[in-house]
Amino acid sequence: MLNSLFKRFAGHTPGNETAKKRLKFTLICDQLEVNDSTLKNLQDDIIQVISRYFEIDREGLQLQFQRDKDLSTLAFNTPILCVKKELGRAVPDQGVKERQR
Amino acid sequence: MRCKLEGRIIVITSGKGGVGKTTATASIGAALALEGKRVAVIDMDIGLRNLDVVMGLENRIVFNIVDVVNGKCKLSQAAIRDRRIENLFLIPASQSDNKDVLTPAGVERVGKLLKKEFDYVLMDSPAGIERGFENAVASADEAVVICTPDVSSVRDADRVIGLLYARSITPKLVVNRIVPEMVANGDMLSHEDVIDVLSVPLLGLVPMDQQVIISSNVGLPLVMQSDSTAGQAFRRIARRLNGESDLPIQVPSHQKGVWGMLNRKFGKK
Repeated sequence: MLNSLFKRFAGHTPGNETAKKRLKFTLICDQLEVNDSTLKNLQDDIIQVISRYFEIDREGLQLQFQRDKDLSTLAFNTPILCVKKELGRAVPDQGVKERQR
Repeated sequence: MRCKLEGRIIVITSGKGGVGKTTATASIGAALALEGKRVAVIDMDIGLRNLDVVMGLENRIVFNIVDVVNGKCKLSQAAIRDRRIENLFLIPASQSDNKDVLTPAGVERVGKLLKKEFDYVLMDSPAGIERGFENAVASADEAVVICTPDVSSVRDADRVIGLLYARSITPKLVVNRIVPEMVANGDMLSHEDVIDVLSVPLLGLVPMDQQVIISSNVGLPLVMQSDSTAGQAFRRIARRLNGESDLPIQVPSHQKGVWGMLNRKFGKK
């Protein structure tokens, strides 16, 4: 326990967190049968579209993948900083969801 | 004459090899038999049989599952009775054939016969997701997926879970070879991490245990070793399978300090 706390203070990411992150990303790619570059392009395109309407924080963008028995959900979550003036009309929902399958 | 049973066929599978399918099959089978059930464990790894040596029954083999499916012998001729545990039977794999000698349809036909003779039929699936796997799941009503807490094993388990869902089977998960010290130090995926990723119901957690190798050296049932933490975990898994679904799942833990030392010393369960 102490050892792991010490490692954290020293700025190490614990191995299990790295493993989990890698695993989740690998499973997304496996299930969608796409490679990382396709996923990256998709992300870039979505950012572009959202950026037309909203000022978004690109650093805060998160890609999440959830799977249930018969439905898989791919969710892009992004903090919206403000609505672009010229297009007006605020949207209450924060973030954009893309459904898959 | 025994009355006809209506048993459950459970396939034990994992996708990846070497995660403990065979040990799990032998242990869960033995534990179910100790609970008083009539159990058959079937080695579906045609060409690479191992369940027989893990169970210590390798020198009593006459017929095998391929013979049964091909009609060369009766079910009762191929089933080897375990002499230490009552009501436990092994049907070994053939060592000289390959996986293509069996067909899912053939296995399904034999599955129907097996269900009438046994309360539980455990199918030890080979690694992989090809023909051998298809044969092993062909007659299964339920599935247990075994994985270890590492990236490659969980990834393969996810693939297999997808294939089982496609057959309308919701598998139950066993996380094997957990090293509590490593989990506590953040050096190993915890069982929560694994469940979070795989999102299937959990059946049990099995700690890493040297007794697994020691027992397999001599072909003794792991679940009969009272000092085996893995053996005890498999007994709980069997009880949960056998209807005690509210039996709590024990999370493997390492006890430090005086108590842990004393417990280890005196072999407390």
